[in-house]
Amino acid sequence: MIADCDLLIGREITSGLRQTPEQLAGQLAQAAIDGGALASLRALQFDVQTGNDEAAGAALRYGWWPVYGIDLRDPLGAEQEMDRAADHGVRLLRLAPGRQEIAGTAPRLRILVRRATELGMTLLVEGSTVDVGTGMLGLGASVVFLDQHFYDLGEFILLARDEPGFHVSTRLLGSPGAWELLLEHAGPERLLLGTRAGWFEEHAVLDQLKGSPLAPEERELIAGGNLRRLAGGSS
Amino acid sequence: MIVDVHGHLGPWFFFPSEGTAAENLRVMDAYGIDIQLVSSVEAVTYDPVAGNAALAEAIGDEPRLRGLFVIDPRDLAAAEQQLDELRGLFVGVKIHTHYSATPAGSPAMADALRLCADADLPALVHTWGTEILDLADTVASVPGARAIAGHMGGPAWRLAPEALTRTDRLWLEPCYSRPDAGRVRWVLDRIDPQRMLFGTDSTLIDPALAFGAIRAAHLSAEEERLVMSANAIDLFDLDLS
Repeated sequence: MIADCDLLIGREITSGLRQTPEQLAGQLAQAAIDGGALASLRALQFDVQTGNDEAAGAALRYGWWPVYGIDLRDPLGAEQEMDRAADHGVRLLRLAPGRQEIAGTAPRLRILVRRATELGMTLLVEGSTVDVGTGMLGLGASVVFLDQHFYDLGEFILLARDEPGFHVSTRLLGSPGAWELLLEHAGPERLLLGTRAGWFEEHAVLDQLKGSPLAPEERELIAGGNLRRLAGGSS
Repeated sequence: MIVDVHGHLGPWFFFPSEGTAAENLRVMDAYGIDIQLVSSVEAVTYDPVAGNAALAEAIGDEPRLRGLFVIDPRDLAAAEQQLDELRGLFVGVKIHTHYSATPAGSPAMADALRLCADADLPALVHTWGTEILDLADTVASVPGARAIAGHMGGPAWRLAPEALTRTDRLWLEPCYSRPDAGRVRWVLDRIDPQRMLFGTDSTLIDPALAFGAIRAAHLSAEEERLVMSANAIDLFDLDLS
């Protein structure tokens, strides 16, 4: 089973493109991705409640994991939405500091990450350790960096030694040997398949999955096992 | 046949890498790449003079690797002198706008492309953002210059068709470590397929990214023939014997 930690529906304001749940389902089917963790661009860019309800509804319909977005531009509202997520049994939160133009060093980021950690949430964070890692350090946070580029993979590995909850998505780890380097230094538990299907060429990542010399148990963890663990069970 | 016009040879500072020709060939074999045009990592990121010479040595007896001579537009005298010595060992030129701090629309870039035109060598030029349009205008201003917009402008790939309207001596090469969905098809639907070449940016980037983007574009048989090899063979006048 292949599960993608980086699924998005809605309208992307910078490109003007849209992806409905139905289109995403078709995209996943053609790529032989079975499901994943779904968030809404509406929640990340415009209105958290209606956006998150949209994601939850689509996730329920297709058997995916719902991911609630929070809006860092409204940190008090973000606190409330975290509580609503917890009330709804949602374990995954998506943070988008870059998209919302909030600096990775903003105090609110650190405070909200601490609160999410206390609630037992895993954070799917747009950005890399370079951009937003400082806000996650030393809090025992469970984080998946969705935009960690292979240029900075070494920094992630250094941080992973002290941060057992730090994980990374495959999406931008596109150098030869990047996955193997990560597995050697941080272990297969830290890598999650993330393609951002429909917005990014998912075959670019899937071909790496096929081509990487992974042991079956490593492949299982990367392709879905780690996401199942962080999301809290099956979707 | 697959010709990759955007390769590198040498170690990268981002991760452990032997940086040998054998490493290039191992990756090429894994993906079925027949011929790869390579520029020296050392020449791009540090010293063109040392790097070009080392590359000539490294690929001298390896017919599947063909050299791209790196020019730093800020030191054309050195480039001109070295090109005189090594001309026969290289099929084209690589110019990196970022590492050489020379924007594609600058007079220095025009001078560098003039040198390439005089040597009858096409140039693969790194393009990022709107400078793909600047490169097109520069190429148009230099008689005989032929250039390939490496990365097709990266995040500004939607400008690629417009760039091609400004000169018939510009080609596109779409490799990108952040490939937006549908990018190659979108561009191909708006250009003559004779104007796109295949590149990977290996050994910096795993060719899976380039092949994944090409696969998603569902090339017709004719597009595949042109993009994956024929255009490169024509432009670089590659000897396949």
